[in-house]
Amino acid sequence: VSTSEHGPPVAKHVAEHFQDLARQQHAVRLGMWIFLSSETLLFAGLFGLFAGYRTMYTADFLAASHHNSVAIGTANTAILITSSFSVAWALHSVRHGARRVAALSLGVTVALGAAFLGLKLIEYADHVRHGIRPGSYYAFAALPSHGAKLFFTLYYFLTGLHALHVIGGMTFLAVLIRPVVRRRYDEAHHVPLENGALYWHLVDLIWIFLWPLLYLVG
Amino acid sequence: MAYVLAWLALLVLTAASFGAAHAPLGSLATAVALAIASIKAAIVLLVFMHLVEASAAVRAVILTAIVFILLLVLGILADVSTR
Repeated sequence: VSTSEHGPPVAKHVAEHFQDLARQQHAVRLGMWIFLSSETLLFAGLFGLFAGYRTMYTADFLAASHHNSVAIGTANTAILITSSFSVAWALHSVRHGARRVAALSLGVTVALGAAFLGLKLIEYADHVRHGIRPGSYYAFAALPSHGAKLFFTLYYFLTGLHALHVIGGMTFLAVLIRPVVRRRYDEAHHVPLENGALYWHLVDLIWIFLWPLLYLVG
Repeated sequence: MAYVLAWLALLVLTAASFGAAHAPLGSLATAVALAIASIKAAIVLLVFMHLVEASAAVRAVILTAIVFILLLVLGILADVSTR
């Protein structure tokens, strides 16, 4: 912390165009939430398509969703919920000066993300083996209806876009482990970690809606 | 500890949603599944994402996004189901 000539002490983390850390953090938080909100609107387009086609092909969607592995889908739901908890715990630990616990919690979160992707890959491989591919490549003999084809095409787009976000979130959190270990953050300054955690929670939030729609009730 | 309680609540709600999907709810099944998902989302937003302690500006941003998503989905549903 350095002291400016005329005003109150200026924290080392404050950019020159902000008067103090509180204002800077307010701006960063607001910016992050605007970004997260625009992410939800990106998914909203696909959710809208899903709602429309599901209304048009209700029986096909139900039959197709019952073909998805409920065991894998449910396991992945528990995994992401637990990873949301572990990343919240990482932030909590940094706020209370426990950086080892914080680094460990971040590592656990990234590992859970990898477990999620691993199960997703097993699922994709099984689908492709059965001829369940997106769009005009769809060739699943057991469910040849047009509605089932639309369901699985949307399934690939929704879960694929979500998986990209899982990879992005894992990268974001993995990059944060080093500065946490090296004491770059303290009780007052940990905005990058806060944003990484927020991004990861968004990944969890989207899956909370994907799971019932794609695995339970079509 | 609020985080532990939130985590347990989310797991219990996941189990409840799994159970409800296998109960004879008929046409209510989707509504029940989405209602449980919305409660789970609220827990993640309020507890894990600290929306409870967030500024009014932050709340306005996410509320606007939620309203826009509902407008889009409900608009599409209104169109498709009344053709």
